[in-house]
Amino acid sequence: MARIVVVTSGKGGVGKTTTSAAFASGLALRGHRTVVIDFDVGLRNLDLVLGCERRVVYDVVNVIHGEARLQQALIKDKHCENLYVLPTSQTRDKDALTQEGVAAIMEELRQDFDYIVCDSPAGIERGALMALYHADEAIVVTNPEVSSVRDSDRILGIIAARSRRAEAGQEPVKEHLLLTRYAPKRVQGGEMLSIDDVQELLRIPLLGVIPESESVLQASNQGIPAIHMKGTDVAAAYEDVVARFLGEDRPLRFTQPERTGFFKRLFGG
Amino acid sequence: MPGTAAAAQEARPGALRLSGGVFTLSVLTLESPDAQQLATRLQEERQRNPAAAALLKNAPVVLDLSAIPGEASLALGEILAVLRGAQLLPVGVRNAAPGQQQLAGKHHLPILRGQERPAEPVAAPASAVQQRGALLIDQPVRSGQRVYARGGDLICLGVVNAGAEVLADGHIHVYAPLRGRALAGVSGDETARIFCSSLEAELVSIAGLYRMPEPHLEQWGQASQVFTTNEQLHIAPLGGRNT
Repeated sequence: MARIVVVTSGKGGVGKTTTSAAFASGLALRGHRTVVIDFDVGLRNLDLVLGCERRVVYDVVNVIHGEARLQQALIKDKHCENLYVLPTSQTRDKDALTQEGVAAIMEELRQDFDYIVCDSPAGIERGALMALYHADEAIVVTNPEVSSVRDSDRILGIIAARSRRAEAGQEPVKEHLLLTRYAPKRVQGGEMLSIDDVQELLRIPLLGVIPESESVLQASNQGIPAIHMKGTDVAAAYEDVVARFLGEDRPLRFTQPERTGFFKRLFGG
Repeated sequence: MPGTAAAAQEARPGALRLSGGVFTLSVLTLESPDAQQLATRLQEERQRNPAAAALLKNAPVVLDLSAIPGEASLALGEILAVLRGAQLLPVGVRNAAPGQQQLAGKHHLPILRGQERPAEPVAAPASAVQQRGALLIDQPVRSGQRVYARGGDLICLGVVNAGAEVLADGHIHVYAPLRGRALAGVSGDETARIFCSSLEAELVSIAGLYRMPEPHLEQWGQASQVFTTNEQLHIAPLGGRNT
């Protein structure tokens, strides 16, 4: 039976889709059969970040409406063996997601996969509620700034009240904090909230810190999940995140400002 | 509200879905059983404060009968007509004596907390003798969440974050930072207090008196209590000599 993991945030543009793609790829690279589902009906992005946009024939809405079978809509990722993508529709809206339809898809995927990663849309409306409803675990993606933290707080409250686990009175959804776009230098300068500030406000365990980096933009423009950008901080940070999620103990990296080297200082970098 | 109203929902397909909800309603305390007098008072109130009157247009109100003696004759039908004429929507009565409860039933008005009518005549503040149960919340109260301890105290063991709202008819205790809004004594109990281990609230209110604390406040970030005396709201240290 698969574990269902929702990647959510409340706020838009914080890195949910980047994280969903990198995190799902990381699980697959470690040999887990993984499927990543785009819940952002009408604003289809996950396929672009995974570089499979030209292979989308059927989508999750077609499956819900019985116009295609699940197997027809699943796209095999070109970067790693164990990863499948269930894209969303670009032409429909969030009302196309029905409670029963999503439940049926989850039930079917649960049999075949180890992990189901749900990429939530921004907001707290239907799409986001559908994405988090079935979750066993939640990765709350937060930028180190106050509005993102407040929206994360809001979505945590919704997870605690409106998920299937909450409604059924089961063990609550396991919550993880993922800080993204973290710029240690700006934290030091007092322009950004620190890791401690964010944890003091949200009070959930920290899964990892992804540094602010240009390679994220390059990766999504090329349709390659950031975890495949070998040699970059971001790829290493996402690998750590996956390892910690799977129970390994890894120290935090990329949370201190880079020291300027002797030669860099000498020649002005 | 974690695990209460939302958890009561049943995710079962069907024609209806029953779920719990907490609503804040305006309470209109009737000071005289005379419908004509009420009409005059409403008219005066509207002229005195047109903005507030506009806010209350078509607002649901609960009729509080605590000031009307049980044996006094009450023309409830006429009173309801006056209220509806003033564009108020009576949705229930509270603090009704047994005879008044029957009367309300005839007019299809629900009885809200009708059993709590204080013994007449009112000598001591009713709240001092009122039996209170407490609602305990052991998770953080997060932005957008609302917790109401009806008829009693509220105890929060976790943080009350900015954008969250905690309300109680009695006291509010927060054994963590209070960053959201806290409203104690919401049904009018002026003896209610708010206690918190760090005051960083957006708003604190007791029985309708409110204050929006600011970071330059002496008690900001300190263990504090909020209480009223003589219709004044005070914010004071917790564990001081005079507490």
